[in-house]
Amino acid sequence: MSARYGMVIDLDRCTGCGSCMVACAAENNVPALPQASARTGLTPILVYRASNGMEGNARRETFIPIMCMHCEHETPCVKVCPQQAVEVDKATGIVMQMPQRCLGCRYCMTACPYHARYFNWWDPSWPAGMEKSLNPGVAVRMRGVVEKCNLCHSRLHAAQEKAAATGKREIDPADYLPACVEACPTGAIRFGNLADASDPVSQEARSPQAFRLLARIGTEPKVYYKSKEPWVKALAESNPARSSEVQHG
Amino acid sequence: MKVTRRDLLVWSAGAAAGLLATPVPWKVLDDVSIWSQNWPWIPQASRGPVEVRQSFCTLCPNGCGLRVRMAAGWPVGVAGVNTNPISRGALCPLGFGAHQLNWHPQRLRTVRRLAGASSWNEAQAAFARARSEGPIVIIDGWPGRAASSVLESFAQKQGGSYRVAVGPEIRALSPYEAWSGVPATSLGYDLENAQTIVSFGAPLLDGWGTPGRFTRLWAERAAGMENPQLRLIHIEPSLSRTASRAWQWISVREGSESALAAGLAHVLIEQKLVPAHGPIPTVGLDEVAAQSGITADAIRELARTIAGHMPAVAISRDDDPAIAALNVVLGAVGARGGIVRRSKNAQTHISAETSIADARAVLIDASVPWNFVPQTGAEVFRFAAWDGGLNNSAWLLPAPGFLEDLTDVPSAPTSAVQTYAVAPALVKTTSDVRSAAQFLSALDPTLSSAETIIHARCSDLFRARAGRLCAQETMPVAQIASLQKLEEEIWKGAVWVGEPSEPGGLRCQLKEWPAGASSLPVQSWANAWTIPVLPPLASKVYIESNLREAPARRNA
Repeated sequence: MSARYGMVIDLDRCTGCGSCMVACAAENNVPALPQASARTGLTPILVYRASNGMEGNARRETFIPIMCMHCEHETPCVKVCPQQAVEVDKATGIVMQMPQRCLGCRYCMTACPYHARYFNWWDPSWPAGMEKSLNPGVAVRMRGVVEKCNLCHSRLHAAQEKAAATGKREIDPADYLPACVEACPTGAIRFGNLADASDPVSQEARSPQAFRLLARIGTEPKVYYKSKEPWVKALAESNPARSSEVQHG
Repeated sequence: MKVTRRDLLVWSAGAAAGLLATPVPWKVLDDVSIWSQNWPWIPQASRGPVEVRQSFCTLCPNGCGLRVRMAAGWPVGVAGVNTNPISRGALCPLGFGAHQLNWHPQRLRTVRRLAGASSWNEAQAAFARARSEGPIVIIDGWPGRAASSVLESFAQKQGGSYRVAVGPEIRALSPYEAWSGVPATSLGYDLENAQTIVSFGAPLLDGWGTPGRFTRLWAERAAGMENPQLRLIHIEPSLSRTASRAWQWISVREGSESALAAGLAHVLIEQKLVPAHGPIPTVGLDEVAAQSGITADAIRELARTIAGHMPAVAISRDDDPAIAALNVVLGAVGARGGIVRRSKNAQTHISAETSIADARAVLIDASVPWNFVPQTGAEVFRFAAWDGGLNNSAWLLPAPGFLEDLTDVPSAPTSAVQTYAVAPALVKTTSDVRSAAQFLSALDPTLSSAETIIHARCSDLFRARAGRLCAQETMPVAQIASLQKLEEEIWKGAVWVGEPSEPGGLRCQLKEWPAGASSLPVQSWANAWTIPVLPPLASKVYIESNLREAPARRNA
């Protein structure tokens, strides 16, 4: 049975600690290059800080983690890639980026409505010896390719190998959690199979409080958000990554 | 047969067209693409058997449980341990990148004397000479460890002084020590049983205490709820990360927290909202309103809100006695859901802030925060794993880095219960580094080793037959068959958890409302306990986002 992996992010629980970003970078062997800036760094998951635009005691802030939304319908990056380096995996729903095929044209970055794709500007490098701390399950990517969240695909592989070793066709859901989900200290980021109606995350995604960023453009992202604050929901249609209310960089 | 120019062109065109019909050009294109992305000089991850080991984070005294993924003997990833009863599977963002710290460019690898190169032999000779010439002072930043016992024993044997530099959470508990005589290092917060937490600027959701403890509790009982089981009221001039997530944020003028605490106590006692537990502050409510910038009615309303959802406890970011006195008024001292005494046999230590003007030499353990700079003319021997850039030390001695040294992990500073665990050395050292305890043991071989002290502590736990051992499963110590079994579990990553604190173990009597505010300067709290350098990935995240102030590029 094909799965549709997705997330529900409860924004009322996010404290903006940044653990998800550090854990993601460690898991995916993202180098901490000193020349990288807010514009040129690789942040497969980036936590934005947004406010309600008020000042003084009326001011309220929220933190919005944004990564690849794994759009299900008319996936913009897939449509524009001339190299077929991006595809939606039919078995999992994960939008896969294949760096070996990518020629670095960055059409996909332009097409992505969520600004969730990053160009790899430099050869990866680490201080002497630090390469020993790299995750052996993930290849080090070269410069000149586009990077993004792939829902920690190496962890899915590991879960599939474990299932195969025990003669099972389906993975144990407990064996596959992306690094950001595992790292979130408040449980704000939840991960599950949206195609499974019994999955709590799938049920949460269908709740009235759940919403998606830029839902009106019809790409059907598989990353959902939740908040009780009306002004936070209003941000969803303005795209927090572009909103003038968002402080970034 | 004569080959004409036309034949050559036709043949070439045919060959080119034919080649396109074969897999060759596509295979070459594919291979070139792969080769060009895998040049031999590009770093590659270690290859080797992967195993998962349990340990504890040693970057600060909170000792969060760690699941360390090792490949070819090197740590390649860390995550929290869900069964850890204190950190509950969470880590701070620095912890997730800690496995890269041992290769940080500012890692200290050689002995330095006055910024020049030196050696361990010279350092030992210099310290031995200083010891014979005058009194020595040893400063520890993480008391209660086996290594702390070594440092303290050495200081006692040499007639020197052992002092402790504590973090902001313990400093915030120092007024209770002054009023009750119970050491602040043995006090903690019973957050799990509180229903209202009034934070006076304490960054409860931003690095305060054991990161997982309060964030998990807040997520379960408060996050996003209109009428939460746990109310977090945050009092701070600016909209901090904790303020933005609090149930109620009250913006007050900078420096008026003491006055507001007095105003709240005034209302609580005057309106009989709580049983009278302490003296009534003399300050008038109008004066408090003028100082704090919030109205007298708002202060009355806040007091009623707190009293309507008890037990309540106030947590200060510093050692403000007025906020401690508010806890006395609230009945939160020595009570369920308040400030509790977790241990009855803790010692009082001399603070590192006490004058050390007459010392001949000062030895600073690597656990002391880098921003602690001793005010002394003595010869300073500072142990550190990373160069923090600021110091007046004559000697800079390279200490073991992350998980490079065996250490035991005593109770976290804010914990309401006693805990004990052992973080074994999982990572081999790549240079000649020594801990302060090893350095002193080389000078005095009669000192007990850390292993011996840990063994003795495990024996004490086994003999007491109290508490429980938390690993994958929880097991009462009374049911553990042998000391060997208990030690085996502890060395594999289990945590010993003592019996819950009993209310009434701490009493503070106040005859009058304390005068004066915090004795501590306003400082960047977030930097108080952090290591002098950030893990490179944390630097990266802070540079590329606006979550926190970006660090200096040298740390990146």
